[in-house]
Amino acid sequence: MKKIHIIAIVMIAIAAFILLTASKDVSTYATFEQAETSQARVKIAGQLVKNKEIIYNPSKDPNYFSFYISDDDGVEKQVILNQAKPQDFEMSESIVITGEMNDDIFYADSILLKCPSKYKTEEISIREVNG
Amino acid sequence: MDEVQYIGEHLLPGRIGQFLIIFGFVTALLSAVSYFYATQHRDTPEQRSWKTLGRWSFILHGLSFLTVIGLIFYMMMNYMYEYKYVLEHVSDDLDFKYILSAFWEGQEGSFLLWMFWHIILGFIFLKNKSRWESPVMSILALIQLVIATMLLGVHIEIGEFVYRIGSSPMVLLRDTMNIPLFQNAEYVSLLKGNGLNPLLQNYWMTIHPPTLFLGFASVAMPFCFTIAGLWTGDHKGAMKSVLSWSLFSSGILGSGILMGGAWAYVALTFGGYWAWDPVENASLVPWLMLIGGLHTNYIAVNTDRSIKATYLFYILSFVLILYSTFLTRSGILGETSAHAFTEMGLEWQLVALVLIFLFLGIGVFIAKAKTIVEKEREESIYSREFWLFIGSLVLFFSSAIITASTSLPVFNTIASYFSPGYIGKVINDPIPHYNKYQLWIAVFISVISAVTLFMRYNAKDKKQLSGKFLKHIAIAAVGGILLTVLYKYFLNLGNWQHHLLMFACGFSIIASLDYLFGILKGNLRLGASALSHFGFSVMIVGSLAAGLNERHVSNNTFIFGDLFTGEDANKYVKLLKNKPLFMNDQWVTYEGDTLVGHTRSYDISIASDKNGTDKYYVRPNVVYTNDFSKIAATNPATKMFLEKDLFTNIAALHPSLQDAQFAKEMQDTIEFNDYVLRKGTPLYLDSLKNYEVNLIGYSHFPTHPEYRISESELGIEAQIQVKDHMLDTVYKINPALGLKGNLIYTFPVKSNEMETVFKLDEKLFDQFYTPEQSLDYKDFIIQDRGIIQFNDVSIRLVGFSENIEHKQYIKEEKDIAVAALLEISAPGLNKSLAPVYIIRGNRPLSIKEYIPELGLHIRFSQIDPENGNFYFKVAQDKRDDLSLPLAIANNVDRTDYVIFEARIFPGINFFWLGSIVMLFGLFLALYQRNKSR
Repeated sequence: MKKIHIIAIVMIAIAAFILLTASKDVSTYATFEQAETSQARVKIAGQLVKNKEIIYNPSKDPNYFSFYISDDDGVEKQVILNQAKPQDFEMSESIVITGEMNDDIFYADSILLKCPSKYKTEEISIREVNG
Repeated sequence: MDEVQYIGEHLLPGRIGQFLIIFGFVTALLSAVSYFYATQHRDTPEQRSWKTLGRWSFILHGLSFLTVIGLIFYMMMNYMYEYKYVLEHVSDDLDFKYILSAFWEGQEGSFLLWMFWHIILGFIFLKNKSRWESPVMSILALIQLVIATMLLGVHIEIGEFVYRIGSSPMVLLRDTMNIPLFQNAEYVSLLKGNGLNPLLQNYWMTIHPPTLFLGFASVAMPFCFTIAGLWTGDHKGAMKSVLSWSLFSSGILGSGILMGGAWAYVALTFGGYWAWDPVENASLVPWLMLIGGLHTNYIAVNTDRSIKATYLFYILSFVLILYSTFLTRSGILGETSAHAFTEMGLEWQLVALVLIFLFLGIGVFIAKAKTIVEKEREESIYSREFWLFIGSLVLFFSSAIITASTSLPVFNTIASYFSPGYIGKVINDPIPHYNKYQLWIAVFISVISAVTLFMRYNAKDKKQLSGKFLKHIAIAAVGGILLTVLYKYFLNLGNWQHHLLMFACGFSIIASLDYLFGILKGNLRLGASALSHFGFSVMIVGSLAAGLNERHVSNNTFIFGDLFTGEDANKYVKLLKNKPLFMNDQWVTYEGDTLVGHTRSYDISIASDKNGTDKYYVRPNVVYTNDFSKIAATNPATKMFLEKDLFTNIAALHPSLQDAQFAKEMQDTIEFNDYVLRKGTPLYLDSLKNYEVNLIGYSHFPTHPEYRISESELGIEAQIQVKDHMLDTVYKINPALGLKGNLIYTFPVKSNEMETVFKLDEKLFDQFYTPEQSLDYKDFIIQDRGIIQFNDVSIRLVGFSENIEHKQYIKEEKDIAVAALLEISAPGLNKSLAPVYIIRGNRPLSIKEYIPELGLHIRFSQIDPENGNFYFKVAQDKRDDLSLPLAIANNVDRTDYVIFEARIFPGINFFWLGSIVMLFGLFLALYQRNKSR
């Protein structure tokens, strides 16, 4: 057996080991219930609850942004994010937040929005007819 | 059913275009097949005619698609919204310089861009008259053929299913949907283009995609050569011929990826140049594979080993390019990527694209691998090729690990395909996840690349190492330690793994410099690889420095203190206009803003003290949507220093400035209280006891920024001073009223400092400008050159004119009209006036003159020619005891602020410098290679 083969096998072993250990880096999207029981840092995917209050008052505190989302089980919880409100927040189709649950409030430190309308508008705009 | 006869459609370019797409598809097929036979019959006389046919078919194919691209530009530049692709990417107000960006914003356009580069590369290759023409062009034509299917836009019915093949950019909007609009024969004139996303309206969108796609396209060449080499059996020849193309491709693809990073860093608010986003990884991975192949290619050229490995690397890098196309365009990444790509509905076609070339490449490799004769004897561990090969293996595993993680959404989709209840997994924190593995890759690459510099090809044992091998290694090791210490003097290095990486980079930097200047004496002819490796290590040092030391500086330590725990609690800070704020040892002031087009730029000054020492400006901006109703995008501004970058961004504005709808709602909810203000009698507001409001006077020429002199017939401004006894400052407030037609417009003034709005009551207008019916005219009779004395105004009659210039006079036939020329003098005012006397059909009329400053009304009311008497009527507005009706609202939100985000990236220039040197090394190697051949 050539030395290079040995090295290659060792590398494959390392790579396999890496991929195995990486399994703890991944998880499924959690629900609020799981976040509450685990008390761990989790990712939650959900929809913005549009009829509940969205608070971002930069005059008072530019680092406080609060809103409600409903997770895959339909559970609605308040989310607080120490960030400015992202552009087109209300138009988002789904929201992914990362953070922890504490006292029935989800404290998020990162947010990802999926806004299909951002890059494409399905509707056709019609010119305003003048006169 | 009646066919509607549509008006205003331009059907010809679309029909030509659709024909050319089909024609280009057919000629690609013809070219691929002809070249195939030319290769198969390469040793027979038939070869020549097959080759000629293949060549001309490819040229026709190329010309067809170049024309298709030209037609789309033609349609875009003429705003032919009847075409779906034009409607989706162009709008009337799109700046012409963004027409290129609009072209490749969509899927169809970017496929065309990709094909464009294949065509150009193919033409260049043909011009070189290479002996590899037939097999290489056969594969290139096949690639074009498969990509062209993406643009066919044909529907095939099999049974009850309709399969769509490709999406044509030539499709008419009315063929894609069925809506009532198309009942209107003139629907075209009603269409409005969607235009280019404001986020993409910058020069990066003009330069990044063509570079990246040239990179993508160029990866096809090593793949074509690989198949050609395996096909013809001339492996050594293939290894030699492909090397220039691989160098070119590595350089261009690398530049494209780097530009993407620079775009994200400079122009977008992603907050960094690299985020291990799936879309970014998808273009990095083929590049890593290609670099692996490039190294084994060098081994193959120099030692006749590693030919198989080179072939595999090139096959994989091209397949990974196709895989990245699949990942980014199929929508499979879902919410795992910050980059949004629209779905085309062609997922299976994209899968086929990847699989066709994967099977072709691997299939040909397996079938022909036994024809490759490599040296039997094993390479020695003291030889350069041994370690180059190990380095390539490291790169292979680097790409394999990145691909595995990036493909998680693909695994999820496949898993849920087989077991529908499967819940997909996601990476919790992508950046640390990727970094912790790639850190080791960087360590290995740095060390191996440094050590191999001092080794020789084909060395068999220890003795053949360069005599001073150990000395050079020792120098590099000591240098690496010194550089690590030096780094730590300035910046933070974190955990031991980062220390190790820094040492490895320092080791490599010193070794490369030692090699370049100590051994090559600065002669770059042989130093391209050393230069590239030097660049790589410098780049990694830059990413260590910036990544580990990047931090938000937009927080005010004075205000927040210990109120917040958690390091990221305050990323943003509120900057009030003209109120300097202390952050990161500097005074930051929002000084003002300017609106140009749809972009509002903010002037933020940064100085080392309050007096403005070492002051400089950063100018981040926000871009409004076309109708100004909302902010569409924010563009950061980055100030570059030698040792660090300062990244600044407007994270938010007052909600009323972000959204016109909200502003209106807010305006309607302001509650005003009514007050009456008199000259000489200060007013104290109930809610704001420290404010003393004084009326100073009036002006007829309002200075309010929204007041337009040209639009208003009369204007009035109240000059109010508010004294703040607490701060001992005086604010000047000048609210105004304007008359236009019968409508009075109010121009309120908002003082952000006092959080108060002042508004004049419309009643002031009637008080100030007495209506005609309430005027108390006095009659005067004078002779020519006579003088009227009215209060402190003297009016002298100096003559007459039949040439009437009065604005309100509209001439009618048979009018007898004469204007009296008057000279008015009052304290501080001299003026000439010409009131008009008219006899219109036996009726006497007069048109008055008015002096707003004096409130003086003068009519020329009658002429008595017999006695030479002239009759005038004069009246004056009663303003002496004017009380100012005023509405005041307090506790109104301040809006004169920006929510400011600032971060520093220390040492980031090492990253850019290093990556540029690395790419320069690749191009230098290409230059040397082409020169020596």
